[in-house]
Amino acid sequence: MHTIRNASANWIAQAAKTSGLEAELTRRGFLKLSVCALSGLAMLGLGEAFGENTPLVILDNAKGIILADPTRCVGCQRCELACTEFNDGRAQPSLARIKIARAVNFGLTGPIGGGAMHGDWGDGLLVQGVCRQCPHPVPCATACPQNAITSDPETGARVVDPALCVGCRLCQQACPWGMLSFDEEAGVATKCFLCHGTPKCVEACPAAALRYVPWRDITRDGSPDRAPLSVIAPEKAKACLDCHLPTGTKTTR
Amino acid sequence: MAVRSGGFVGKVLRVDLSTGKIGTEDTIERYAAMLGGAGIGYRVLWDEVPAGTGPFDPANKLVFAAGVLVGTSVPCNGRTTVTTIFPTCWPKPLVGSGHMGGHFAATLKYAGYDALIVEGKADRPVWLMIRDARVEIRDAGHLWGTGIRRTTLELSQEMGPDCVVAAIGQAGENQAPMGMVVNSVSHSAGGVGGVMGAKNLKAVAVTGSGAVRIAGDKGEWERLIKFHLSILGGNNQHVVPSFPTPEAEYYNPASRWVGQPGKRWGAAKPPVEITGNIHDLNRIAYRTNSAAYFLGEEAWKYTVRGNGCTACPIRCHTMLRVPSVTAKYGIPDTAQNTCVALQFGRLFFERLAGRKGGEAAIEACMVGMHLADDLGLWSNYGQLQRDLRKLYEGGYLKSRLGSQEYASIPWDKYEKADPAFLLDLIPRIANRQGELGEVLSRGTGAIFDHWSIPEAQWAEDRTTTYWKMGHPKHHANEDDGQCGVIINTQYNRDAQCHSHTNFVRNGLPLEIQKNLAAAIWGSPDALDAPGDYTPANVHKARRAKWSLTRKELHDALGVCNWMGPWAASPLRARGYAGDDSLESKFLSLATGQAMDREALDRIGERIFTLHRALTIRDMGHVDMRAKHDLVPPWIFEDPNGAAPFTKGTIRMDPADIARAMEFFYAVMGWDKDTGAPGKARYAALGLADVGEKLAAAKLTPEERK
Amino acid sequence: MNAIDEDGLARAIGDTVRSASAKAQLITADAVVEQLRQRGFGKCPGTSPEAGLCLSVAAMLSALPDIAPLASVSGSIVYHDTTVLSRTYARILDRKSASAMLLAEEVRSNSRNYPRPVPRELFEKPPFDLAPETITAVLKALASGQEFRDIASVTTSAGAVYLFSDLYLERGYAAFLAEQDASFAMNP
Repeated sequence: MHTIRNASANWIAQAAKTSGLEAELTRRGFLKLSVCALSGLAMLGLGEAFGENTPLVILDNAKGIILADPTRCVGCQRCELACTEFNDGRAQPSLARIKIARAVNFGLTGPIGGGAMHGDWGDGLLVQGVCRQCPHPVPCATACPQNAITSDPETGARVVDPALCVGCRLCQQACPWGMLSFDEEAGVATKCFLCHGTPKCVEACPAAALRYVPWRDITRDGSPDRAPLSVIAPEKAKACLDCHLPTGTKTTR
Repeated sequence: MAVRSGGFVGKVLRVDLSTGKIGTEDTIERYAAMLGGAGIGYRVLWDEVPAGTGPFDPANKLVFAAGVLVGTSVPCNGRTTVTTIFPTCWPKPLVGSGHMGGHFAATLKYAGYDALIVEGKADRPVWLMIRDARVEIRDAGHLWGTGIRRTTLELSQEMGPDCVVAAIGQAGENQAPMGMVVNSVSHSAGGVGGVMGAKNLKAVAVTGSGAVRIAGDKGEWERLIKFHLSILGGNNQHVVPSFPTPEAEYYNPASRWVGQPGKRWGAAKPPVEITGNIHDLNRIAYRTNSAAYFLGEEAWKYTVRGNGCTACPIRCHTMLRVPSVTAKYGIPDTAQNTCVALQFGRLFFERLAGRKGGEAAIEACMVGMHLADDLGLWSNYGQLQRDLRKLYEGGYLKSRLGSQEYASIPWDKYEKADPAFLLDLIPRIANRQGELGEVLSRGTGAIFDHWSIPEAQWAEDRTTTYWKMGHPKHHANEDDGQCGVIINTQYNRDAQCHSHTNFVRNGLPLEIQKNLAAAIWGSPDALDAPGDYTPANVHKARRAKWSLTRKELHDALGVCNWMGPWAASPLRARGYAGDDSLESKFLSLATGQAMDREALDRIGERIFTLHRALTIRDMGHVDMRAKHDLVPPWIFEDPNGAAPFTKGTIRMDPADIARAMEFFYAVMGWDKDTGAPGKARYAALGLADVGEKLAAAKLTPEERK
Repeated sequence: MNAIDEDGLARAIGDTVRSASAKAQLITADAVVEQLRQRGFGKCPGTSPEAGLCLSVAAMLSALPDIAPLASVSGSIVYHDTTVLSRTYARILDRKSASAMLLAEEVRSNSRNYPRPVPRELFEKPPFDLAPETITAVLKALASGQEFRDIASVTTSAGAVYLFSDLYLERGYAAFLAEQDASFAMNP
């Protein structure tokens, strides 16, 4: 495992800024970078300094995000079908990387009845499930023991590399919104990859309920749908400590 | 077909409720020639349900069939055809289908099934659980006696929030011929609910994680999907908007494309304004508002959004929220539906039936929708309502119902068009209470049987719109002259065919329609100006044949015959032409087996001809012309005495209709005298076994002679 | 002007008309010339610039395939891009200031082209937006005037008023079509 022992504070600050990290890092903040995660950071010329298999810690922010308006959604599922038909050659909502089917009938609370229920059997509101293309820390990428989830150079979308994925499903457990799909036929996870900048779901929506807009951190808008399972491989967890010092530790600037 | 081919998902699920046996068949091996949907339904009935089987006999079967294109993003798919011995067919139940949209068909395919065949009868109330390969018959005792709304909720609690439940309510449980099965809130298949009830089958609940494969190139598929979207109009493929717009040359005030920029979904929170270009493919869902179309402009303020079948962009089921109805009638404030089902409540009232508009009508519709779709009571295309009105207004009930029962019915509320009347009437019918409830629960034929009222009293009264065999007209001569008449003679219930009417009412000027007609059916004389009819000709017969075979095809592919075929389009650049080969193009790409329009139409004809064969067999007559292809006397009259073939009347002429039927039999290749296919015709359509059986029973024209 | 200039000029003319059409405006040739001049066209050596530009614009307007001329109620010729503003709508726009002609010509074209009568209430809605009293006044004026005596009305059994032109539709047929139109919502 390689570390940067002699990186300057300047360099660290710049690297942090490029990654969208808001907090200033200390001189002791080491960044460990996986070669394949280098994108915006590539220009810092660090790629060659590190070998393979370095734990991934930080991804650049995505450039775009799919914004969904529940008040326009008409529950047709054309977005789900465009996602899998046009990308995978088969119509399969359970594989879709935008999620409607689970909310169509009763909304995300499920069949609880009562007056607050959404969906077709409730008040009609349909809250679409869309990948937030999370900023650091990216739960699915962090959970992946294979570092198979990286940032797409074109769009910054968090993408599963099927060649690296071993099908452990930890990413599915880690996502607070349950947005990871699993391709049973290929045995790998898959997720929204923004279709190289022209999302097919956005194109397919007949109610203009989806838009592709510049990225914003929406992970703090509203609560997650499910309790995420926090599973991080030990070597990665150790890497987190390079920037995120445990409480009680003095910092030197 | 290879394992990795597409469209079909490969299995037909067969469940015997008498024995509990559950098994599957290979769709392609057994049913490829019949494609799917009604095709599979008719084949199962032909092979397995003998003539004379009653609708509620355990020997009757229910075939819930999706279609090859269901589950994909082909616009306007998602349809289930439910084929069985149809209980309201009078005087003798014969083969018929109910049709329902919603999410059931697509989910059945994702579960891995092209169709579900239900046989026998359970010894106690049950429901069928389908989760991919796992299929179980489960106890439904706790659900018997509950409505469809609660049944769906409780089964979803058991199965998961994304399951789709097709359930009967009290009407079906009571084996009412007018019972229906409902899925996804508002999507119902009429007439088949009682058959389910007779089998003690409360519901079928399905969830599926699988896929419908596209065998062809996915890029080509995407392009074809986008092309199809580009030629869509509004509901019923009305290709011009109802308002003048800079974006179109033509408009039609009667068009169902009512989504004018400036209008808004008023009950959305916050309201959603309609903006943008009306041809924008991301705004197709704003074109149609069935509630505004049928109930008047007031409906916009109650509109939450559109809803409908899986993958359809049209969203013809309008979701309405009318807060006042909860306090007034004790019903939920939200309901949705389209067309007749939307108006289920309003149509009962003589005072409200003839006109749009008004808050009272909207409230009546809310009450009607809630009760009908929860109790699972069918309208028979509005015939239930017309029958009630005629029975009351015509004094039949006063004279025939016992005085106690008559007095127990809140007629004062009926007279005032008070929607609270429905709170008594609809449960009365669904629960088959009293003489009125019992008779109306059986369909129009029961009126004739039970009260010994001659059928002629309905058939001669145009206001009933009664056609034959216990059912009403459905887009006959009032829309489409002889073509509409021919179509209405062919089924054992109301025709349910929209191929013809979608075209003639699409809103384009007559000249353009005639050009399109010439291109598709060979002559501009295939259609007339409305109410300016000319004598029967072969072109109209060809268009009738096209209408019928395409309807069967749509019921086999699982696409919506209320939108297709796509004969016309909104596109000026195409001369307003649609694409008459769309169905075959999609099928070829989905399955990976190339099939052109003519080849696919032959399959449609095969399916339709099997329906004919079943009808002949189960009627025990070959003379369809005299005994089945009937028309009501009122089509030969005009209230103002206008003569046929003059401008401004829909009046038909008996001799001309006889000629029209002959033209039709000729284009179908059927015997002119009987209207029946011969052995050779069956064989030519791949139904040789059917022809043999009928010939042996002396039910083919040549054998009869 | 050389060929390159011609192409540029043709494009500019098309753009000018199209952007006016996109704003639901009809534009005269003179107004097109004026806009082009402001953009720097019309500086042609060797000819009187004004005359040269006007001639070119006029010629090109008739040659551009998407641009249609319309004889305006104002007396001049106006132009619009039919891909953005249909002929039907352009005529409605042009007549907005002349209610009588607006209503009468719309009724006539419906009776002629489809053919069908139109519900009176059509003219209360966008883009006509005529007040009911205005419509009543207009119909009265048309009946007593000379030019549009053909505009007539029928009333359906439910009381809805439909307008038609007896130049193209006989009364009896118009009555039938009106009754049918009013029945469509009852014939799902």
